[in-house]
Amino acid sequence: MKEKIDSLLGKTLTVIMGLMVLNVLLQVFARFLRIQVDFTEEVAGFLLIWVGLLGASYATGKGMHLAIDLLPRSKSIEAQKRFNVVINTIVLLFALSVMVIGGFRLVYITLSLNQLSPVLEIPKGYIYLVLPLSGFLIMYYSIVNMKNENPFGE
Amino acid sequence: MEIFEILVLVVSFVVLLTIGVPIAYSIGISAVITMLVSIYPVPAVTTIAQRMATGLESFTLLAIPFFILAGQLMNRGGIASRLIDFAKVMVGMLPGGLAFVNIVACMLFGAISGSAVAAASAIGGFMNSRMEKEGYDKSFSAAVNITSSTTGMIIPPSNILIVYSLASGGASIGALFLAGYLPGILVGLMLMVVAGVFAYRNKYPTSESASISEGFRKMLNALPSLFLLVVVIGGIVAGYFTATEASAIAVLYTFILALLYKEISFKDVPSILLDTVSTTSIVLLLIATSIGMSWVMSYENIPQAVSEALLSVSDNKIIVLLLINVILLIVGIFMDMTPAVLIFTPIFLPVVTELGVHPVHFGIIMVLNLSIGLCTPPVGSVLFVGCSVANVKIEKVIKPLIPLFIAMIVALILVTYIPEISLWLPAIFDL
Amino acid sequence: GKENDVRVIKLAHVLNPQHSVHRAMLFMADRVAEKSNGKLKLEIYHSGQLGSESQCLELLQIGSLGITKVSTASMEGFAPSYKVLGLPYIFRSKEHMFKVEDGPIGKRILKDGEKAWLRGLCFFDAGSRSFYTKDKPIEQPKDLDGMKIRVMKSITASKMVSELGASPMPLPFGELYTALQQGVVDGAENNPPSFYLTKHYEVCKYYTLNEHTSVPDVLVISTIIWDRLSDQEKQWLQEAANEAVPVQREYWAESEAEALAAVKAAGVEVTQLTEEEKAAFSDQVSVMYEDYKQDTLVYNLIQQIQAVE
Ligand code: NA
Ligand code: NA
Repeated sequence: MKEKIDSLLGKTLTVIMGLMVLNVLLQVFARFLRIQVDFTEEVAGFLLIWVGLLGASYATGKGMHLAIDLLPRSKSIEAQKRFNVVINTIVLLFALSVMVIGGFRLVYITLSLNQLSPVLEIPKGYIYLVLPLSGFLIMYYSIVNMKNENPFGE
Repeated sequence: MEIFEILVLVVSFVVLLTIGVPIAYSIGISAVITMLVSIYPVPAVTTIAQRMATGLESFTLLAIPFFILAGQLMNRGGIASRLIDFAKVMVGMLPGGLAFVNIVACMLFGAISGSAVAAASAIGGFMNSRMEKEGYDKSFSAAVNITSSTTGMIIPPSNILIVYSLASGGASIGALFLAGYLPGILVGLMLMVVAGVFAYRNKYPTSESASISEGFRKMLNALPSLFLLVVVIGGIVAGYFTATEASAIAVLYTFILALLYKEISFKDVPSILLDTVSTTSIVLLLIATSIGMSWVMSYENIPQAVSEALLSVSDNKIIVLLLINVILLIVGIFMDMTPAVLIFTPIFLPVVTELGVHPVHFGIIMVLNLSIGLCTPPVGSVLFVGCSVANVKIEKVIKPLIPLFIAMIVALILVTYIPEISLWLPAIFDL
Repeated sequence: GKENDVRVIKLAHVLNPQHSVHRAMLFMADRVAEKSNGKLKLEIYHSGQLGSESQCLELLQIGSLGITKVSTASMEGFAPSYKVLGLPYIFRSKEHMFKVEDGPIGKRILKDGEKAWLRGLCFFDAGSRSFYTKDKPIEQPKDLDGMKIRVMKSITASKMVSELGASPMPLPFGELYTALQQGVVDGAENNPPSFYLTKHYEVCKYYTLNEHTSVPDVLVISTIIWDRLSDQEKQWLQEAANEAVPVQREYWAESEAEALAAVKAAGVEVTQLTEEEKAAFSDQVSVMYEDYKQDTLVYNLIQQIQAVE
């Protein structure tokens, strides 16, 4: 299950990152050729939100986020496991409250008030959907991470 | 009363950090908890969600993944070895030559890639074994490699200066980039002085000087890599493109270069992109939650409270800057550079601007200061990478690091109290 | 405790503390405190500390921010009746505009935002926009023929400039100074304080006060916060807002006069138009009102505004 999600998420992120590069190169070359392309800045902003938050969930799955783990490391392996459960519960609660609940509320507000992006006129709510989506992924990865037998490595 | 909110923020943040919650999440959670003091839960979490999303919606920030991608391409694209050869031609004949080569190569690679960690691993990987073979002390080589790698954070292009520009509410990126040159070079020179004295005392050898034609060939080899700096910085300063567009150009340029050197091929692209996303999203999540936290701080009037407290100690510029430098050095010991810049810029910048410090100058002070923290335990990404590529224990590196730290602190004091070191170049280019 | 008896409403905007709107808000905060004997307080955040105009509107809808100030143009998406305020020459004069804003039409427009959880409290004056050009002065609509004029990204603005015979160029505001310098555009349009503060007068030496649009600012309160107030508190707040209106108008007039004096001193030729000369401009764009024939809400408002003496 985790491998499948990792691989799908990884592929999605690779594609978004590739699009980001192409999008900005398009802007630069259009400028040099004096062609008017007005959507690149807006697209760049949206792709960045998606890559940042989806990527954050990917990095959570891989345990890559920076942390100061001196205290848990200094404890016995049993205590380390307890620390790990507490840490991942806290991360899960953040993802649930801010990203899932707060994110859905934001999506609801912007969709029900029909807020559109200025250039492409995409409903802003669709852009913000990445918040609850990443939130769910982070919750899932936190649960998986809780079962880690040797949470602080070495 | 702000005191209560400050207490809630600081205590929750420190507790979360200490038990080992990732920094980015600790920032976001303590922001939410602080907000709950004054408003209901649903608006609180929705606001943080909105700040996280809109905070990332910035064209300027796009330069960060792109410079990281360019750095990845350089790492795999055979650019490090060419820069080392070039550095050898330049400074290899001096006593303790290899130490100088290490410093110059780290400065060049750090400058171009914009990543201290990349410089420490790419250059350290090559240099440490060569230095050991010629009789250098292993931990000394690692210490030199670690400290000099940080100069790439100040010598442009620099992601951290882009982050600072964002946190400062729009200090000019062009001006920040130009301002970084002399302080970065100054740090490099100070490190060379220490390395030179150490090498002289231990009678380390000079490396054999290359023939003129050989030297010339090596310089030519490095030229395309060095030319990237001209394209990127020249393009920004001359106003041909923005920092973000420059970062995309850097990606294209290094990609073509790496293809020409036959070090990578098209099938490596997906894995390079995914590596970039992983590194980037760690930074972006930090930025997203920090933007949430700095919003909460403004909302609770915390910067004003801290600022009043600081200015009540003294309103003398020299003393306040000294105080801020000491606080930041302590912060840097425990915290990585990006969150530190994001959290402390909105707090300290209004204080120092009121005392007449230029925002660009303060950005350089901050980054220079926090670079020292990158090389100290317990949280020091460059220290960890430097030690692991050199295969030495952290405890062993501390002793040779101390004189190098002193050199960096002297450079920091000079840069803090002589604003011209930072502001002279931007002034020449009218930025 | 005693602290809990005090209600604090947070007000955030993007203008600097010297701006007439910010100074009027300080006045409003004082009035609210006086009326309520310190029981109701406004806490003001200036210079975009809590976000941009659109982000602040979103925070109002989320319920973490109480009040913000936006251009009425930003409200058009939420409440269509605001559209009428953006039409060129919809007001015959400043007096006419104030009378509409202070009267029943103004009240109705302010209430129109409630369905998007954004209740208007009052209008603030943001002056009138006029053309400034680089190479030759504009005295009549004919002078605009073939000129490239930078406009805001808005259909109404582009339409108006085309009707006057010029080509509209929707450039980002940040690129405008260089675009004027390099001759990418021949001119632009804005109110006197903005013309002065953006330093566009360094490049454009002709400023014609044709005053084509007078898009006001509006002070908006989140209905989430508004509904939580007692009737007494609502009254204090609304009265204080109404009292701040004439104060702001006076401050704005001062800043406009200062800006005009400053650009004149910098060598800009400022052209005042007579009523007849101005009518030449307004006649040419009046066809734009017909576009709203299908939109009964806006069309009725146009006619009601024109009927105000
Ligand atoms: Na750099
Ligand atoms: Na450190």
